[in-house]
Amino acid sequence: MNRREKALTTARRGTIITGLALIGLAGVYVRALMFTPIERFQGPAQKILYVHAPVATVALLAFGITGVLSLLYLIFKDPRLDHLSASSAEIGVALSVVLLTTGPIWAKPIWGTWWDWDARLTSTLFLFLLFVGYLVLRGALTDFGMRARFSAVLGVLALGLVPFIHMTVYWFRTLHPSPVLLKPEAPSMPGVMLVTLLSAIGVVAVLYVGFLMQRYAVTVLEDIREEEAAGGLS
Amino acid sequence: MDYPDNGAYMVAAYIIAAVILIGYAALLVYRIRKLR
Repeated sequence: MNRREKALTTARRGTIITGLALIGLAGVYVRALMFTPIERFQGPAQKILYVHAPVATVALLAFGITGVLSLLYLIFKDPRLDHLSASSAEIGVALSVVLLTTGPIWAKPIWGTWWDWDARLTSTLFLFLLFVGYLVLRGALTDFGMRARFSAVLGVLALGLVPFIHMTVYWFRTLHPSPVLLKPEAPSMPGVMLVTLLSAIGVVAVLYVGFLMQRYAVTVLEDIREEEAAGGLS
Repeated sequence: MDYPDNGAYMVAAYIIAAVILIGYAALLVYRIRKLR
């Protein structure tokens, strides 16, 4: 099997996983909207949690994976690591768009404002803009070695922001609530809500895997096209 | 039980999330087809 066939197989498998995850997401929507109780003080707006928190978790995971793969690329110089880290970064940006739109929609009825320049929100916006810059940088550089090396350095530097963003709610005064799950104590949420939240995180994680396989295939197919174009010119 | 009347925000957030995620999935399928 040649590179193109391998990439197309990965793309096909990724598309199937993405499709299944989107069906799962529809199931999570039904469970969250119809079978999960409404929280007494926040009302229906609290159910935005089942979209916002899973997307936030997986977006930070995607950026974390980008950082780790970037570090591995700088050590091993394997182009597949560069392709995977770039793919993970783009998915992180896409998920961050969901994160940064659902967050303010939830904040408005609960905090009385769409946005607050506090540590959690500002650092999340900064991470998003950093990775938009990462993607712009990759688009601007045509030489493969330079593009991979420069973006890997940026990916590693951004890695430090991921744990920082998680800890901002403990280190700074912020409107944003503390984590429900990722903390030393037991989850602070009734069982039925917790099951919905965990299902949503699982589905978004599977969606990330499907997206990653599809996006990786796109990068490999673009590479093949570039090589063919270069071969045609020489 | 009386809840705050903010269901419209919930609906908006769910619709926007679905549109972005399905839109990105469609974009990836389009890019793969274009490169095939």
